Amino acid sequence: MSAQPAPEASTARRKRRSGRADGDRPMWLLWPRVVVVLLIVAVPFLIAVYTSFLSVDQYTLRQWVGAPWVGFDNYVAALAGSNVLSISALGSLGISVAFSVLTTLIITPVGILAALTVNTDFRGRALLRSLYLVPYVIPTFVTALLWRMMFLPQTGLINRFLAAIGLADVNTYWLVGAKSFWAMTITETWAVWAFIYIMVLAGLQSIPVEQYEVAELDGATSWEKLTRVVLPQLRGLIALAVLLSTLFHFNNFTLPFVMFGTPPPTPVTVLPLNIYLTSFNLFDFSLGSAMSVITLLIMLVPGFFYLRMLRLGEVTSR
Amino acid sequence: MRRDARELLPPPVRIGATVGFVLVITLPIAFMLLLSVTPDAEVSSGRLIPSHWAFANYAKMWSTVNLGRGLANSLVISGVSSTIAVIFAVGAAYVLSRFNFRGRFPYLYSLIALQSVPHVMLLLPLFVLFSSIQTAIPFPLIGTYQGPVITYLTFALPLATWLMFSYLSSIPVELEEAALVDGATRFQALRKVVVPLALPGMVVALVFSFIVGWNDVLFASVLTSPETRTLAVELQTFSAAQAGGSLPLYGQMMGAAVVSALPVVILYMLFQRYLIGGLPAGGVKG
Repeated sequence: MSAQPAPEASTARRKRRSGRADGDRPMWLLWPRVVVVLLIVAVPFLIAVYTSFLSVDQYTLRQWVGAPWVGFDNYVAALAGSNVLSISALGSLGISVAFSVLTTLIITPVGILAALTVNTDFRGRALLRSLYLVPYVIPTFVTALLWRMMFLPQTGLINRFLAAIGLADVNTYWLVGAKSFWAMTITETWAVWAFIYIMVLAGLQSIPVEQYEVAELDGATSWEKLTRVVLPQLRGLIALAVLLSTLFHFNNFTLPFVMFGTPPPTPVTVLPLNIYLTSFNLFDFSLGSAMSVITLLIMLVPGFFYLRMLRLGEVTSR
Repeated sequence: MRRDARELLPPPVRIGATVGFVLVITLPIAFMLLLSVTPDAEVSSGRLIPSHWAFANYAKMWSTVNLGRGLANSLVISGVSSTIAVIFAVGAAYVLSRFNFRGRFPYLYSLIALQSVPHVMLLLPLFVLFSSIQTAIPFPLIGTYQGPVITYLTFALPLATWLMFSYLSSIPVELEEAALVDGATRFQALRKVVVPLALPGMVVALVFSFIVGWNDVLFASVLTSPETRTLAVELQTFSAAQAGGSLPLYGQMMGAAVVSALPVVILYMLFQRYLIGGLPAGGVKG
């Protein structure tokens, strides 16, 4: 975060000289964003909260404001009951948490290792750095289609490989049933490990080479340099990366939606997908809203830590 | 050659890891490219190397999927929304970087905080709101370009504003001060002095904003009609239809997937230097 203090704060001199210019501060330039955020985020957010206390379905949608008030019924239903999808919000929450935590746990060491392989100077480094980014920059809907093919029975590369080394049958089904969760997690891991890699690489580049040389003069081994010199300095950055990664993956909708189609197998019904299906396939809009509010409340926890870690105020008002 | 003091991995580990990464990245992509030139019938037959290179897939797919229309829709929607987002972002970032005022920190904070609202939560209310608006005033939003455009530009604004804020903070104030002394208004100074200097930053913000719309499936699946469907939804619908079909057109599907990914991958490669700066501020990947 390279937020800098507003120059105005430091140059009181200018205030005196150009009092007129202060009069035409174009503050209205801030308004367009406020307007679109009100329209696209704030008002829909309030509507979602409100409808979560009503009973709105496809019949009452047109006059949703007048739909019957049911209090916390939707929340009870979301947490307790299992709907036609045969999975409750609580069940989906478990899948979402497992998916995002597991993905982050796998990609963190992988990302750090990848950053370490391209931290020194060598021929072809630029090419390698670009290549590492490719899976990350492929649009998620393409990644989903690509890995759908990878996991196909008989045809897919995964089954061919596993069958060749004798680990699984070539007809193993990855896209339906219990294994689908692993298919989703493996795909996500392939697509997003570069997120940690980029963050760590940026951190590595900020460590001056002299520090390594001093450590070397003191007789440090590579391992000691890594654990005593490098990682301690990157601790904050890695913590931020881990937090952000967990947040992003928790909200992933596109991957399971495109990869598994509708209706998806139960083990990949992450919370956003469950909300989507509840709202647009079962037309139980209120239940969907209640589930979104629950999602938001859960997101507040890591979100709070994220804002604290950024310490925006401290940096900008130095 | 002297050993690099930054070398933290023993050479065998480094070489082994590098080879591993390269294989894991390239094999699935090679598989996608291979399937895209495999005749549709041979994909399902379980044959890995096709009997002939079916480059015809790349010609046929344009009529099998409505790829051309999807591509055009995606270009228009992402292009317009990212352009507007960058214009809004430059204006807001200018004020944020040049003046101290009450509400400056809340505004900066809100750029990041509002991103944690789950998008799926906004989807149905947005649909309801858009239908209410288009009944009240004659401004159609659902099934048009306007609806997705205004949605994507809102989601692109935090990152775009943050990028522009960092960029404008690094442009010295003295240059605009000269213009102000010469009698220009603030807005004129912004337009004539600051914007030309900020163009490189604006291009980067434009790229990131463009990708927001290009990659979205969630909102496009509900807010567009068959005529305004974006490429992402076009492909998702096509893929869903293949699952139940007797002869899945997997070869053509992979060809279409390659064509959908290519513009974004090229854009990223050109601007990868800035990817590092933009990442922490906003989830590039949704």
